[in-house]
Amino acid sequence: MKDFSKKELAMNNGKNGAPAFIAYKGKVFDVSKSFHWQKGNHQVLHDAGEDLTERLSEAPHGVELLERFPVVGTLI
Amino acid sequence: MAKVTREMVEKSGIDVDQLVELLVKNAAAELTTFYYYTILRINLIGLKGEGIKEIAETARIEDRNHFEALVPRIYELGGKLPQSMNEFHDISACPPANLPDDPTDVEAMLEVLVGAERCAVRGYTHICNMTAGKDHRTYDLSQSILNEEIEHESWFSEFLGEGPSGHFLRRGETSPFVSKFLR
Repeated sequence: MKDFSKKELAMNNGKNGAPAFIAYKGKVFDVSKSFHWQKGNHQVLHDAGEDLTERLSEAPHGVELLERFPVVGTLI
Repeated sequence: MAKVTREMVEKSGIDVDQLVELLVKNAAAELTTFYYYTILRINLIGLKGEGIKEIAETARIEDRNHFEALVPRIYELGGKLPQSMNEFHDISACPPANLPDDPTDVEAMLEVLVGAERCAVRGYTHICNMTAGKDHRTYDLSQSILNEEIEHESWFSEFLGEGPSGHFLRRGETSPFVSKFLR
C-alpha cells in the first residue's frame, strides 16, 4: 500500500493515460477500469484525483459501489 | 434553443451546461440500452427465458421512448447530440448491457437487465435531485422516466427472487408516465 499526498492523488486524474484514483475516508481506490469513470470523469460532476468523501453523501449510491474497486493506498 | 427557458433554468442556480451534458449521457444510455435489450430479448428463449421475454420487450420499447422524450428537452436547453453512434456509446451514463457469455443462463441475463435498470434509477434520481424546485420541466420529465425505470427494476428483481414487485405488467400501452412527453 502506498501513501498518497493530495498532490500525488491529483496526478492520478484519469487523463492523458494516467490511472483514475479517488479517495474516500482515507482510502485510495483505483477506478480506472470502471465504465463510469472514463477519462477520469464521473457523471459530469466528479473528477478523479480528488478526495470525494464529502461528495459521496450527495450521490445516488453508497460506498458499496466504490468498494468493488481495488484499494491502492492511503490518503495522508 | 428556447432562450427564455434556458434563462429561467440558469436563474434558478442550475449549471445548465452540466445539466445538458447529464441529459445527453442519459439519452445515450437509453439508446444504447434499446440496442442491447434487442439482443437480450431475442435470446430470452426456452422454458425459463420465455417468461421474461415480454417484460424485456416492454423495457426495451420504453427505453427508446425515454430517448425520444429526452431529445426535445436537450434541444430546448441549447444542447446537441453526438454526431456518431460510436460517441453515443462511449458517453453513455450506464455501461453496455452486454449479452452474457452463456446466453442460456437466464439468471445472468436478469443480472444484466437489473443492473442496467439500477444504473438508470440512480441516474434519474440524481437529475431529479438537481432539478427539484428549480427546473420544473426537466424535473417532470426525469421523474416520469424514473417512475418507469423503477418499475423495470422491480420486474426483473422479482424474477431474481428478491421479492414481489407489487404490480402487474403493462396491459397494452407502454410508457404510462412518459407518454405525455411523446405526443
